[in-house]
Amino acid sequence: MVEAFRPQNLIEALYILSENECTIIAGGTDLMVQRARGFALKPDFVFPLLFIEHLSELKQIYNNSNEIHIGACVILTDIMQNEIIPEIFKEMIGKMASPPTRNMATIGGNLCNASPAGDTLPYLYAVNAKAILQNANGVRTVPIEEFITGVKKTCLQKNEILTDIIIPDKKFDVNIYKRLGQRKGMSLTKVSLLGLADISKNRIRDIRIALGSIAPTIVRSSDIERKMINKSLDEIKQISYEISNQYDKLIKPIDDARSTAKYRKKVSLNLIKHFLENL
Amino acid sequence: MKENISKSILRVDSRKKINGEAKYISDWKFDNVLYAKTIRSTVAKAKILSITLPEIPAGYYIVDKNEVPGINRMQTVVSDHPVFAENDVQYIGQPILLVVGPDREIIYSIVAKIEIQYKEQEALFTLEEAEKKSTVFTDYHYRKGEPETVFQQSGQLIEDEFTTGYQEHVYLEPQGIAAEFKEDTLFVYGSMQCPFYVKNALLDTMDLPEDKIRVVQTITGGAFGGKEEFPSLTACHVAIAAHKTRHPIMMIYDRSEDILCSTKRHPSKIRYKVAFDKNNQVLALDVDVLLNAGAYNGLSPAVLQRAIFAAGGVYNIPHINVRGRNFMTNAVPSGAYRGFGAPQTIFGIEMLFYNIAVKLGVDPLEYKMRHLLKKNDPTSTGGQIREEVKLPEIIKKVIEKSDYYNKLKTNKKYQGIGISLFLHGCGFTGKGESVINGKITLEKNKDIVTLKVSSVEMGQGAETALRKIVAQTLKIPIENVIYGEVDTGLVPDSGPTVASRTTMIVGGLLRETAMEMKTRWNETEQFEISKRYEHPKYLHWDDDNFSGDAYPVYSWGANVAEVEIDPVSYEITIKNIEAVYDVGVPIDNRALKGQMQGGIAQGIGWATIEVMESENGKLKQSNLTDYKVPTSMDIPEIHCSFVLNPYEFGPFGAKCAGELPSVGVPPAVAEAVANALNKTINHLPITPEKLMEIDNGN
Amino acid sequence: MVIEFYLNNEKKKIDIDASARLLDVLRENFGLTSVKEGCGEGECGACVVLVNGRAMNTCMIPVASIMGKSIVTMEGYKHTDRYKAIETGFMEAGSVQCGFCTPGFVMATESLLNQNPNPTDDEIKEGLSGNLCRCTGYNMIIQGVRLAIEKGAGLW
Ligand SMILES: Cc1cc2nc3c(=O)[nH]c(=O)nc-3n(C[C@H](O)[C@H](O)[C@H](O)COP(=O)(O)OP(=O)(O)OC[C@H]3O[C@@H](n4cnc5c(N)ncnc54)[C@H](O)[C@@H]3O)c2cc1C
Ligand code: FES
Ligand code: FES
Repeated sequence: MVEAFRPQNLIEALYILSENECTIIAGGTDLMVQRARGFALKPDFVFPLLFIEHLSELKQIYNNSNEIHIGACVILTDIMQNEIIPEIFKEMIGKMASPPTRNMATIGGNLCNASPAGDTLPYLYAVNAKAILQNANGVRTVPIEEFITGVKKTCLQKNEILTDIIIPDKKFDVNIYKRLGQRKGMSLTKVSLLGLADISKNRIRDIRIALGSIAPTIVRSSDIERKMINKSLDEIKQISYEISNQYDKLIKPIDDARSTAKYRKKVSLNLIKHFLENL
Repeated sequence: MKENISKSILRVDSRKKINGEAKYISDWKFDNVLYAKTIRSTVAKAKILSITLPEIPAGYYIVDKNEVPGINRMQTVVSDHPVFAENDVQYIGQPILLVVGPDREIIYSIVAKIEIQYKEQEALFTLEEAEKKSTVFTDYHYRKGEPETVFQQSGQLIEDEFTTGYQEHVYLEPQGIAAEFKEDTLFVYGSMQCPFYVKNALLDTMDLPEDKIRVVQTITGGAFGGKEEFPSLTACHVAIAAHKTRHPIMMIYDRSEDILCSTKRHPSKIRYKVAFDKNNQVLALDVDVLLNAGAYNGLSPAVLQRAIFAAGGVYNIPHINVRGRNFMTNAVPSGAYRGFGAPQTIFGIEMLFYNIAVKLGVDPLEYKMRHLLKKNDPTSTGGQIREEVKLPEIIKKVIEKSDYYNKLKTNKKYQGIGISLFLHGCGFTGKGESVINGKITLEKNKDIVTLKVSSVEMGQGAETALRKIVAQTLKIPIENVIYGEVDTGLVPDSGPTVASRTTMIVGGLLRETAMEMKTRWNETEQFEISKRYEHPKYLHWDDDNFSGDAYPVYSWGANVAEVEIDPVSYEITIKNIEAVYDVGVPIDNRALKGQMQGGIAQGIGWATIEVMESENGKLKQSNLTDYKVPTSMDIPEIHCSFVLNPYEFGPFGAKCAGELPSVGVPPAVAEAVANALNKTINHLPITPEKLMEIDNGN
Repeated sequence: MVIEFYLNNEKKKIDIDASARLLDVLRENFGLTSVKEGCGEGECGACVVLVNGRAMNTCMIPVASIMGKSIVTMEGYKHTDRYKAIETGFMEAGSVQCGFCTPGFVMATESLLNQNPNPTDDEIKEGLSGNLCRCTGYNMIIQGVRLAIEKGAGLW
């Protein structure tokens, strides 16, 4: 029988973590599947389980001086139904998994699972989201691209819990999200593009492009984005091919059960071009 | 018709299924039950050098080849699959032994400690390799006319080749089976299509007398061919375990085990050579059908027969030469899947005709219609089309309903429309029905009639259809017709529930019997009437030369599919499916539409998203996260309608139906995609990945 | 771990491994076999029940997560008026063939209509997209939901 903790509050949870090496379990939609063993069998856990999904400290959504705080254990359905969350992020979350799974899966779990196909990540990268990590001794704030260090790897220490995700309280003029899976209903992402932009007087004032599932982590390049600032939409159209080519070397896809590297590469470049030409 | 058999009634089994009271085998409880878990080969081809077992706790057992009381082969068309592996293994997933015991967790820990040493051998994986090395299981030929002469004389030839991939059934209820001895009688319970196949397999393996084996079908959560021959294997496993332990045994697969080791639709390659007459009509066809049968031949010869007999599609081709081969590879055995080989060859012939028409610059549908079979035409095996072929009416209806020609003209780039024409031979192939010689019984007790058949309800609506046929014939309420428990000890062998034969053949027998019962309706004593199937005398079939009537009658259809392709991502969206069928007379309009829509959804899946590839004998898509079947968001509105064409030997005029939709829709979708991109499509499934390559290729 | 929760409106208490799947606890410990295992990986929806009124996949719920929550399975739900509306809708529309997927679809329908009593066809499709049916091709299930909405007007 695997040992398990179900703390009453966050402080207790952090204390437990300082004393024990645990497997943290939130919604369980990644863990229970990764550790499943078969028909009518319990999943396979080595370390004691620390249940956190019920902790009210981790289930809040609120805004605070131009920032929106989303608790790590807020489930996807609740994010979709919250008024202060930017529409495009809701739209992206609405395309994840299935309604029953979205009733269980948490945003924190999606970050900590650090899959290249994690669908909240392109947005979090695009808006420079921050992750708040706590242990029994204190709090640290880590930019999203430092939080995720590789495929299924994060900078979380064994005694830390991700408590909040912070995104800016900001809306963009252009919001484009394209997500491709093996089918239209529930499927994991094989290529995705999130394009955000602010445009005034026909010129780009801000632009963000984040690509999912085509490299070990989300691909975003502030360098390439910067080159587009203050260009007119016509100029962008003319150089869309060149720009998409600049992404070429950043895109390092793989062949797997769901798609091919060749397809992922080509289609992500197509998507970038298409986004730029239709701003 | 006086009795309107087609008018829909409520399904008799729906309430208990909706409210969750229906008990599938995994919901059954047995006292003192032991669970069984199969240990399988993890390599594609090897000699087994040693098996090291951990200490086995009291109450736990190992069951393997040494415990088989009878023959260690699963009985089917070719009984070559060992029940438990002997000295060698031929595919990843091949069963070697069972671990049996009361606690699943402890079984799991024993399983984890079993070590098997293999000496791996060079294995064969693809059809290409298999063809090169000629690992042929079965090699069939037949011809009509003088194809060789025509090809020799013909100047202008076209060659074409088509390939199709695996398809996994994904019946929602995974394989499950249980066995127990009650005194000295073996009872096997499970999710299955063919209780007597299972019984016959047990006769071989268990070496028990006929009357000591009873096979009971439990409510079956979908099958589609996947529970045709496979449960014979699992039944032997649990029966042997029950024999050894004298406990009830239960074995329920989880999805990944099910995908790993159960049968699938045969991957295929089909080559065509075509000779034309001076009007560009197809004069002669040379067809070479290659199926990947996997490691054991099993049922594959029967699948191959249906595949090659469908090779000419709905067309009257004067000269035809067909070769079909099943190849051995070190892959999980392929087997029965809705359509049984015909979806592969119908895809081939339909796309061939489309490609030829495009090459000739003529309208594909018109070109196809120039070749249609008609009543009294010879079939490709030299039999005869005996019924009126209502294809012209079917086509007229389907193009009107879909606005086919208008859309063909006005479609923009990346929008496509395609049409397929197809048929399906009803009932077993060739001598099949006479060999099975199905028998049914009707029993009358006061005003209650019990029908006794081995045909099973597996979702397709057999229970409702057969009860309805009897009730309407006798003019009694359907509630007064009882579907006897499908237990081989209680019902006669009316044959397996396959080949869309249940309504036509078994239903036909029931109707005949019910009519006889009606004449004796006033008798007060309880009585029963049994009848055996008799193959119509006018049908001839020569099994050695494959000549004559391969089927007593055919069902026909046409499908139109509309698609849209995203030029940025090559994603395919199916916008509309229009289907018109001649299935004789529908026994129940709604039930039949449900069958058709379900079959079409599976066909759409196979044609577009269901990718299953094997890499060195290992399936790359081994669970439902990777192997995707259509969801509610992937299936458009599907419009079905029927053209009446009563068949004199079918109950109320009914013919076969359930396989037709899976046969018909893939080529319609493929044509629509080809039409949208103006490219040729020679492979299924058509994924965005493949489309991208095709589009960039030219 | 001792878990207290409500099951079909009755208070229950069970001492059990915290990581056990709710699916198995319902089936094995409470004998509620309307809850089916079709995949064990969140893909098929056959194991869906209502947790605090929302559809969830029990194959992915470790039982400790349901502490204090209310679970409703078909065994409880079938006594409600909403169920009757869905039952009639499904029967009349031909939404059922093999039936293995059906209890999951009923639960998903309840959860959908609870959130959105008047869904469009596309919303119905999306709402049911976590449930696989291999038999029907979905058309008649969607029709069944439509009929249920009609029959159960005012219930959601
Ligand atoms: C059927 C199905 C479909 C899916 N579809 C999608 C999809 O479309 N897109 C997508 O992105 N994902 C998808 N997923 C994956 C999964 O649902 C998401 O990643 C989800 O957000 C994970 O959240 P969770 O709470 O369930 O994570 P859990 O399984 O509870 O945890 C995941 C990991 O994060 C760690 N963890 C969780 N919370 C914390 C925390 N606060 N602090 C520290 N560590 C923590 C856990 O230890 C574990 O390693 C799908 C999964 C399934 C089963
Ligand atoms: S068994 Fe839970 S979703 Fe399939
Ligand atoms: S009715 Fe069989 S899976 Fe839905």
